[in-house]
Amino acid sequence: MKKIIDFKVFLNGIWKENPILFIMLGLCPVLAVSGSVKDALGMGIAVIFVLTGSNMVISLIRKIVPSYVRIPVFIVVIATFVTITDYFLAAYSPQIHKNLGVYLPLIVVNCIILGRAEGFASKNNIFNSILDGLGMGIGFTLIIFVISSIREILGNGTFMGKILFTNFNPFLIMIMPPGAFLVIGILIALKQKIEKGKKIC
Amino acid sequence: MKKKDIVMGIVVLTFISGLSGYLLAQVYNNTKPKIEEAKKQEEEKLNKEIFPEGVKFEEKEMNKIKYLSVLNENNEEIGKIFEVKTLGYGGYIYLKVGIDKEDKIKKIKVKQHNETPGLGSKITQDNFLNQFIGKTKDEIYLKKDKIDGKIDAITGATISSRSIVEGVRKLLEKIREGEK
Repeated sequence: MKKIIDFKVFLNGIWKENPILFIMLGLCPVLAVSGSVKDALGMGIAVIFVLTGSNMVISLIRKIVPSYVRIPVFIVVIATFVTITDYFLAAYSPQIHKNLGVYLPLIVVNCIILGRAEGFASKNNIFNSILDGLGMGIGFTLIIFVISSIREILGNGTFMGKILFTNFNPFLIMIMPPGAFLVIGILIALKQKIEKGKKIC
Repeated sequence: MKKKDIVMGIVVLTFISGLSGYLLAQVYNNTKPKIEEAKKQEEEKLNKEIFPEGVKFEEKEMNKIKYLSVLNENNEEIGKIFEVKTLGYGGYIYLKVGIDKEDKIKKIKVKQHNETPGLGSKITQDNFLNQFIGKTKDEIYLKKDKIDGKIDAITGATISSRSIVEGVRKLLEKIREGEK
């Protein structure tokens, strides 16, 4: 029997089962918006909000939703949260809204959100589901922050839009999609190395 | 599947969809004025950046081309602002082109674009756009496309650079044709 509030669930999403480095879901927005740190943070915060909100609602209604309509119901709930985020960003932070562009509405089909709804929130109580949403969201944001920092510094010579070096010839490839694949690959390898230690070299 | 399950499914899905619709309508109504205000401010900010001395911006039309007529405090026209839509690398690029009384470029601003972040997105930076200032129609070519060209393309973003050059030049040609 699981505990009602289990903080391990929270930490799980941040490191052990990190959505980008372990579950490897929702990589398309990671590739798309990790070219600049500001956009990546905006995306991360939007994902935290949508993930936590949808996990909470789905966990609340999990007992009354018959299993054969669960996917449409989940999608409706997720789409509602995404659209709310979309309106709020457009109203209060038009610059980030402009930069995220089409990737913001596309959070609806981000697999990590439906994945957590189906895999966690539909089987667990509301507190743990909220914790899971927060943990997964923060894990997603942290990693996308690291990826975008590496890409922006190496690929553009800037950090949060500030110029770091003079006379710097950037690696153009880092700012393009292949750069994101390289960075994600290296980070996954690092995570494996840290966890498994000497067993793999 | 039991009969009860089928009814339950219909009820739940309808209820959730209705509730979501209601919620979204509320959020939409509450944020709509804010969103429109933000858009308007953005627009005004761009106009002011192009013509800092402009006081009034009036919508006008000339030979089916819409533009903003810029007036100074004495109500004299000091220039025009045109909107240009040109096909870039990742979709349309929307430009605002300020033109002074001698039909030379005053300033260009990118209103909206979808170019690759870090590469094509550099079209919004001043060191690219300021190259256009004071240029006439025949000088607006990329240096690598034509010997007389006076515009340097952005490294790694030739298509985006070229599309802006083309868009601006076509606008100037259209204005000239209209005047004849």
